[in-house]
Amino acid sequence: MSALQHFIETRRKDSEILLMTHVVYGYPTVDESLALMRDLLDTGVELLEVQFPFSDPSADGPSILNACHEALENKPTLSACLEDMAKLSRDYPDSRILLMSYLNPFYRYGLERLPKDAAQSGISGFIVPDLPLELAGAFRSACNDADVEPVWMLTPETPASRMQDICAAATGLLYCVSRRGVTGKSDGNAQPLDDYLAGIRTYTDLPLAVGFGIRDAAQVAALTGKADIAILGSGILDAFNAGGRAAVRDLVQSLRG
Amino acid sequence: MKSDQGFFGRFGGSYIPEILHASQRELVAAWEEASVDADFLALVDREMQQYSGRPTPLTPCPNLSRTLGGAQVYLKREDLNHSGAHKMNNVIGQGLLVKRMGKKRIIAETGAGQHGVASALIAARLGLDCTVYMGARDIERQYPNVFWMKQLGATVVPVTSGAQTLRDALDEALRDWSSDPSGSHYLIGTACGPAPYPEMVAQFQSVIGREVRTQSLEQFGALPDRIYACVGGGSNAAGILLPFVDDAAVELVGIEAGGRGQAPGEHSIRLSDGLGSPGIAQGFATMFLQDDQGQLMETHSVAAGLDYVGVSPILAHLAETGRVRMSAAGDDETLSAFRTLLRHEGVIPALESAHAVAGALREIPKLSPEQRVVINISGRGDKDIFNVASALQDPEFNGFLQRYLEREAQA
Repeated sequence: MSALQHFIETRRKDSEILLMTHVVYGYPTVDESLALMRDLLDTGVELLEVQFPFSDPSADGPSILNACHEALENKPTLSACLEDMAKLSRDYPDSRILLMSYLNPFYRYGLERLPKDAAQSGISGFIVPDLPLELAGAFRSACNDADVEPVWMLTPETPASRMQDICAAATGLLYCVSRRGVTGKSDGNAQPLDDYLAGIRTYTDLPLAVGFGIRDAAQVAALTGKADIAILGSGILDAFNAGGRAAVRDLVQSLRG
Repeated sequence: MKSDQGFFGRFGGSYIPEILHASQRELVAAWEEASVDADFLALVDREMQQYSGRPTPLTPCPNLSRTLGGAQVYLKREDLNHSGAHKMNNVIGQGLLVKRMGKKRIIAETGAGQHGVASALIAARLGLDCTVYMGARDIERQYPNVFWMKQLGATVVPVTSGAQTLRDALDEALRDWSSDPSGSHYLIGTACGPAPYPEMVAQFQSVIGREVRTQSLEQFGALPDRIYACVGGGSNAAGILLPFVDDAAVELVGIEAGGRGQAPGEHSIRLSDGLGSPGIAQGFATMFLQDDQGQLMETHSVAAGLDYVGVSPILAHLAETGRVRMSAAGDDETLSAFRTLLRHEGVIPALESAHAVAGALREIPKLSPEQRVVINISGRGDKDIFNVASALQDPEFNGFLQRYLEREAQA
């Protein structure tokens, strides 16, 4: 069992559902994004998803897209981000940090050296939405060597045979995309997740994290008992844009009743 | 040109979000089947003839040849396609494939609007719903094309993120496809994007080069010595060059947009002068203009159709192997070549195609009169009258527009 899976299963003994909250590194400034990350960790979120911004985030909706573009005005570098994550992971040993970005910033940094450097910065896993499993050979083996987990995504469009392949390759946790489309508010046609999650459960014992369109306590409650982790991305960002860090703290404290 | 599981050398592939995976596999399978189905290919050929007017001519240019004093010059007249550009070849092919797959809706991205108009035309003809994503800034610059898309029944969605140009429109089209992957077909306009698009689009466009081969043998009893094409996304270049890849004696030349100079943001040169670097974005691996953090950069060209940050993985590969020689022509050199072609031969090229003319004019005088050069005129320039008049700084055009608006206001 990977260290990340062990962490999640241990924390699940105390809590029916864990939270993974998302912050765009560098938005609105690097310092403010780091302060927001600390706030979130102070409220007790178990997992922090840090998105290193990319100019062309094709799986993200308007909230995260705009935050990425504004963050890029500050010219963030992946090296500085890793240094900042090293401090954060030292200060918050009871939580875990996942680094998310699109493939190109990681590719420019070097897919074979990134896992080792990230592990040294205390990062537990990677989320890379435009890296499909079948093209990830070298990255996976570098992650394996460095004890960092590449997190794979499943979607309601993923055929059963492919779900089996992805579940067989996965370590740490599975990121279950709740619906079609991109991150952010859904069009209101939320599909029932029960069958989808139960189907995934038949292929794997790994912790299941559910994201895309989750933004309030009722949705988190609805996932309790069916998934292990609720992921909040655009919801956190929209709260921040509406009411700053205080609004984010209020939102996160309200999520688990 | 066949890919190796979606790759051309180290470029290509399919780097897409998981939500698109099943649809992409379905498209790969449909294309693999259709691309060897003689009935389907005959249907595409027939539609290209009956709807778009193919074959397009190979036009000799005696005046230009005499003035330049080097090789004999021929133009491949893709400007004479329906819609005025080679874009029609691709939308006919993909449109018929969409019908074959039973999908009812197409999504397209467009920069200058040529591909948007071509998509709207084929959607109207084949009875498909059509949504076109176009950067808000491009809509401002190219309203006449937006006008025609709307008249043809397409929905045009302005994209207000990023630089509000082609690249942002492509991202937005991918987002739309993600929300309806099984019901919609993403009709990408150039030989870029995830597999099978580069190979499929290049295949539909290669009718250009196949015709050049036949016409060359008929008109001068030999293959051309050299072929020039402009390279934006790369579909017209792939189309005319790929059928000659195995003819070692035919020199293949691609011309990128040199813009206003080589400073970042001033050009769209990805494949020469060491300005581009390998990257993976917008669904595929190719040479991109990007900074040291892997962020894609802004680009510029007087020709909106060449103003793109990436390039077809097929051309990135052929440039890397040296089979296609890459060069660039700047805005000023291009406008000068544009004027030369107008005055000598009475042909109005698109500003995109005028880049290929510029690259050729530079080199033709050094060749011998026994040699023959073909330049791909990928589109026509007369329908881009606003942009061309602005680029040529025509003194009367703005006054005409002012008077037009005054008359319309009174009517």
